[in-house]
Amino acid sequence: MLLAKDRLNELLDHLSTEARVYVPARIETQTRFALYSDTVKPNFKLVNTELPPKDILFPQTQNMYRYGFDAEGVPFIDPIHDADDVVIFGARSCDVRSIECMDDVFLTKGYVDEFYEPRRSRLLLVAMACNTVAESCFCDSMSLDPNSAPAADIQMSEGDQAFEVTALNEKGEAALAAWSSYLTEGSIEHAAVSCELKVEMTGIKEKLDHMFEHPIWESVSKKCLNCGTCTFVCPTCHCFDISQENRMKIGERFRSWDSCMFSCYTEMAGHHNPRAEKMPRVRQRFLHKLCFFEDRYGKSLCVGCGRCVADCPVALDITVLIDQIGAAELTEGAVHDA
Amino acid sequence: MSDIQSQLRARAAELLSSGEVVQVIGWMDGRFENQTTPAFIDRPEDAELLVFNEYCVNTTPKYTLYEKEHGKLAVCVRGCDSRGINRMIKDNQILRDQLYLIGLPCSGVKDRKTGELLIKCQNCNHRNPVVYDELLGDAVEEPQVNRYDVVERFEAMERDKRAQYFESTFNRCIRCYACREVCPVCTCRSCFVDQVNVGWQGKQNNLAENKFYNLTRVFHIGDRCVECGECERACPMNLPLMAFNRKMVKDLDDLFAAGEAGLDAEGTHSLGTYDVNDVEEFM
Ligand code: SF4
Ligand code: SF4
Ligand code: SF4
Ligand code: SF4
Repeated sequence: MLLAKDRLNELLDHLSTEARVYVPARIETQTRFALYSDTVKPNFKLVNTELPPKDILFPQTQNMYRYGFDAEGVPFIDPIHDADDVVIFGARSCDVRSIECMDDVFLTKGYVDEFYEPRRSRLLLVAMACNTVAESCFCDSMSLDPNSAPAADIQMSEGDQAFEVTALNEKGEAALAAWSSYLTEGSIEHAAVSCELKVEMTGIKEKLDHMFEHPIWESVSKKCLNCGTCTFVCPTCHCFDISQENRMKIGERFRSWDSCMFSCYTEMAGHHNPRAEKMPRVRQRFLHKLCFFEDRYGKSLCVGCGRCVADCPVALDITVLIDQIGAAELTEGAVHDA
Repeated sequence: MSDIQSQLRARAAELLSSGEVVQVIGWMDGRFENQTTPAFIDRPEDAELLVFNEYCVNTTPKYTLYEKEHGKLAVCVRGCDSRGINRMIKDNQILRDQLYLIGLPCSGVKDRKTGELLIKCQNCNHRNPVVYDELLGDAVEEPQVNRYDVVERFEAMERDKRAQYFESTFNRCIRCYACREVCPVCTCRSCFVDQVNVGWQGKQNNLAENKFYNLTRVFHIGDRCVECGECERACPMNLPLMAFNRKMVKDLDDLFAAGEAGLDAEGTHSLGTYDVNDVEEFM
């Protein structure tokens, strides 16, 4: 089916009456997924947005429950589940895969996260095929396809006058049925794109299995500042920390993004810190992306979106690291199972 | 510059072979065109990797904190780097004799994508290193820019507009702390942010906490800010952090004739000194 470009905003206006609709847009100094409104219109020229749509499903700060004593002095605990119907409109393949990774973490292996699940189940995920790639995009080396995102509900691709929209599952079909008055029959020819930046991933995971003690970590971590940039802009980094704020007789528990790059991430009571230096933190981040997640969920936790590549203030580049791992020798003594 | 780059490589190799230093901290090429990344050279044969060009965006001083344990370091310093080093010496973070400073006069560095001079360099009046053990190349002429331009612009705003400027800036902060981590002055062993048990800084990302973080940092670096602009460059959200830092610098200069930080490694600093003649505007 086709959605004429001049009917796009009409459709989004309509969707906004029933759901919160997020579109890629520039908001002052950044590009991100922002709530569609009279002033915020989608910009599909942005290849991928600087900030991923992660916070829509997994907010940087999420209130979990309120507790305290009510007016009669009776203790109470009120869980907060604040999910709405949400549409992410125009996610790139990398961001769709990142949501698959978050689904693995928050919904599988016998654990369903009660704060993620209600948001996820009320999400309509509309993917947009890439027409261009950024210099830092390397998704097609990470077994993704920038031209299609099979895990989305609806796949779109952009032509000159119209978007082609295709339902990928039942949820998508139901949505397209509801959008039918905005759609016409037809299809467009999508010129497939591929990334310029390539990495060779064959054998990387298997090699990393034996590289926990390899000297490479010492040298790559030297320039790292241990800021949280790479983890916060990453669409798949999902670690959080739980804290609370108390005011008089009422308190609120919330969770907030944490970063394995921060020293307090692993700090324990009595100030013992098993990852006291930069090296083990950097090693953790990259092993989690390229090795541990693969062990647990059978896919890479790096989707090749290139955000950390573009944003790291010291150009510590995961694609360079992957090349270095590929070239590294597994010498005696450096080999230790992860 | 390429002439200076070859001198730099030669000197780095000599310093390493003679054993005078264990490591040279400078820059090398990154993966992309016109991209560099910090380099830590510890073998003379690797000195060839060093580059010095108009895309050396990173500053070097902060790394001395982590690398000093290995022995004496050679550090490449331009104006901004050298002021950071001075400030770190003054803050007892490093000793002058732990460092061999390779001075590099600078013509400013550029954004690799736009080719424009970085904002931090547009506002720089100290392109020549203010401290060094040897200088490669000839000193460059110092520009005379009004670096308070940005401060004057927001000072001139109406109250509401100014509040809005603060709020929209801090609303966008993701609290990655890159600004703190690159800063040569942010060297507290335990930053107020990380004192989780005391609880100065809440972990929520909201306007109140973001403002608290950013403004506390401004006050805390206060008269020690060497105005290298590295926090602003590092900020992934492109927030105008130097506007706030420079406001502090300007006020301190107006109130206490504080001058510019990091021009030398001696003397006192205004917020760390009590003088009965100090102005007490608000008492
Ligand atoms: S890799 Fe880069 S972005 Fe990540 S913590 Fe280190 S310096 Fe920050
Ligand atoms: S590690 Fe970097 S490239 Fe990979 S998914 Fe995260 S931000 Fe994207
Ligand atoms: S990483 Fe791939 S899917 Fe993501 S924006 Fe770039 S080309 Fe598109
Ligand atoms: S670098 Fe920018 S986004 Fe990160 S904490 Fe500092 S001001 Fe906030």
